[in-house]
Amino acid sequence: MRDRLPLTVISGYLGAGKTTLINRILAEDHGLKLLVMVNDFGAINIDADLLASADDDTLTLTNGCVCCTMGADLFLAIGDVLDRDMRPDHLLIEASGVADPARIAQVAQAEPDLVYGGIVTVVDGQSYEGLSQDPQIGAQVAGQVSAADLVLISKLDTPDLALQLRLGVQARAAVLDLTEVDAFAPLLFGSIGKDLPKIKATSHAPYLGWSAQSDLALGYDVLKTRLDERPEGLFRFKGFVGHDENSSWEVQCVGPSVNIKPLKQSRQTKVVGIGLRSQITADQIDDWWRV
Amino acid sequence: MSDIVVFSAKKIITMDINRMEATHVAVRAGEILAVGDATCADQWGAVTHDDSLKDAVLMPGFIEGHAHMMAGAMWEYAYAGFHDRIDPDGKMWPGLTDIDAVIAGLSDYADTLDDGAPLVGWGFDPIFLTSERLSKKHLDQISSTRPIAIMFSNFHLMCVNSAALDLAGFDQTTNAEGVIKGADGMPTGELQEMAAMFPVMRRLGIDFRGLSQKEASIRAYADVSRRAGVTTVTDLYSQMEEDDVTTMLRVTGADDFPLRVVPALGAMDGPKAIADKAQALARRSTDKLRLGAVKLMTDGSIQGWTARVKSPGYVGGQPNGIWNTPPETIFALVDELHGRGIQMHIHVNGDEAAEVSLNAIEAALRKHPWTGHRHVLQHCQMMGRDLFTRAADMGVCCNIFANHIYYFGDQHAALTIGNDRAERMDGSRSAIDAGVNIAIHSDAPVTPMAPLFTAWCAVNRQTMSGRTLGAAQCIDVEEALFAITMGAAYTLKLDSEIGSIEAGKRADFAVLGDDPMAVEPLALKDVPILGTVFGGHVHLL
Repeated sequence: MRDRLPLTVISGYLGAGKTTLINRILAEDHGLKLLVMVNDFGAINIDADLLASADDDTLTLTNGCVCCTMGADLFLAIGDVLDRDMRPDHLLIEASGVADPARIAQVAQAEPDLVYGGIVTVVDGQSYEGLSQDPQIGAQVAGQVSAADLVLISKLDTPDLALQLRLGVQARAAVLDLTEVDAFAPLLFGSIGKDLPKIKATSHAPYLGWSAQSDLALGYDVLKTRLDERPEGLFRFKGFVGHDENSSWEVQCVGPSVNIKPLKQSRQTKVVGIGLRSQITADQIDDWWRV
Repeated sequence: MSDIVVFSAKKIITMDINRMEATHVAVRAGEILAVGDATCADQWGAVTHDDSLKDAVLMPGFIEGHAHMMAGAMWEYAYAGFHDRIDPDGKMWPGLTDIDAVIAGLSDYADTLDDGAPLVGWGFDPIFLTSERLSKKHLDQISSTRPIAIMFSNFHLMCVNSAALDLAGFDQTTNAEGVIKGADGMPTGELQEMAAMFPVMRRLGIDFRGLSQKEASIRAYADVSRRAGVTTVTDLYSQMEEDDVTTMLRVTGADDFPLRVVPALGAMDGPKAIADKAQALARRSTDKLRLGAVKLMTDGSIQGWTARVKSPGYVGGQPNGIWNTPPETIFALVDELHGRGIQMHIHVNGDEAAEVSLNAIEAALRKHPWTGHRHVLQHCQMMGRDLFTRAADMGVCCNIFANHIYYFGDQHAALTIGNDRAERMDGSRSAIDAGVNIAIHSDAPVTPMAPLFTAWCAVNRQTMSGRTLGAAQCIDVEEALFAITMGAAYTLKLDSEIGSIEAGKRADFAVLGDDPMAVEPLALKDVPILGTVFGGHVHLL
């Protein structure tokens, strides 16, 4: 059985900074083979020494990442990725400026070959207040924030704490300013281990990585309850949880979202968690997980 | 044999004011040479008389100004709609008017399939079946082993049977938005929106777009058109990938392909990229494949409550609809495309979408004056006198979705925009009186392609329940016939070549079994279509 492909949606209104974020993620040293589907190549800016090849609708990077245009039919494009012999480690989709990201991300809950990797909404810190009140487009712009598992604020020189608070209430999710984040891979992909040590000590938002491995086996209801009670500040939590001899659970928590998918094979419990050091400690995660 | 052929007919309705009626039309090399009586072409030399159409009534070949190539491809699958419908081969598919009929009809169809092959249906509309919701329980009666998926007419929902649920791995453990569960915690078979339908569509290989670009589908589209008396048809949101263009050029270029196709490139990229592509396509146009126009999306649909509507909004208090293209992007696209001389077809269902689009065109016109742009607002369902007047001021055409009056008029009055605005919706009278050049359309496969039925809708404004929805907006038969010929030709900038029967135009005719000007207006939709003449070649059904 092939591993499921995690899907993360990058959302945000026109000019919010989605492409800037994608450029940074592609260039980051995360060791993952990402496949990024974008609306328009024009703004993707890859250092020449990172670029392995380029044609009309695909850029291939020397670090193994691929960036492609999705064409007219997003779902058809997702199907094509799933049918590939070599699946990427993670699929990122840049939603169009007015798309409801939830309508895209929901496919990861329904499709057995995908797992939910969350919705990241990028917000232009200078224009959001006005845009979200706009009589024509405001509801759709605000809807992207409400759907988010993580909100990233762009275009500010210094973080706007009041805006962060308001967006946090609206999204019921973590809100970070782009200037606070040096590495996105742990936050977005929940990848710890080889990435974490590379995070600069000067980072404003150093991550906490946590992992556990055991023979724990849980029923659905117990697992669901435990995940619902996870400590605040544990932004990303994922892995496999044992169930019985024939099945186990694949777990993905991103921000406020909890996703549990049954797996028709037995697997040992192995989970990882990511949080911000300023918000959570490894002991707190331990206390919660090992009740 | 002379190279001039003179066709005789019971009556020829020319749509040319210089000679409104005639009995004979002379054709040479695919072009109309003369119109009049049996002697009309004698001054041009020796003629051959062809009396094979002498008992028929001829009109200019009908022009469907808003339809989609998918109207041909759909027939690869089983029709499961409420209304009777005729397929490209002429077979009548009776409407399935209750759930038992759906089960019986699809069971018969299943018998024609290979063992284990999926049964895919389309066109089901729950709005008309009020007894209970279609569920896997019903579809399992057709087969418990063959996967079955029935796509609803709005393409936002489908219902599948247990075998299809198994294939997609949907069971009590599935926790996904759109995979609907019953009181027993099991999926009911109803799947809402693309994200939930995708796992089934992927495993059953359902791909409507891919299907519509195959040669068989393009030919089926020609058959659908011929059965409706249509000789020029649009495909109003085409992706026009290189492979698609090559296939289209080959298939439409065949001598026996009796149809002119006018695709409009979907505006999916940035303004400059789409303008570049449209201009490159325009250079590859042929007589039967006219390329170069662009289609813009703006809002959603009224019956889905996704159209952008002005005050007082939706009668049920639903929030305003959604933009598929945000206003600032509409402005940017219109500015670039208009500035580069590219004709646009702009989808506007709600009146706010129409207003924003007119604002964008006005801004572009102030920067780049262009008489004769003939941009077309498509659907125009909620435009009132004020917006039609603005369209006329700017030379913007309106292609009005007249079929909606019959199919959805009752729902619009009761559930979406309320009685007042439903009575003036799809308002052909206001548009014509404001001086707008109008066409009227089916949006096939959303509703069946049949310009005479569309004309009947604009003339009678009768809904499914038999109500006359806003008699003040009715137009007369001649105006409606003009809209499906010259009016539509004008919106495609083809009025110098098609749309009327007069010397110098293409010899494209609709062959009718009765005289639409003479029958009762309420019988307009029942005038038989016998076939078409395309470029002087007769293609009877």
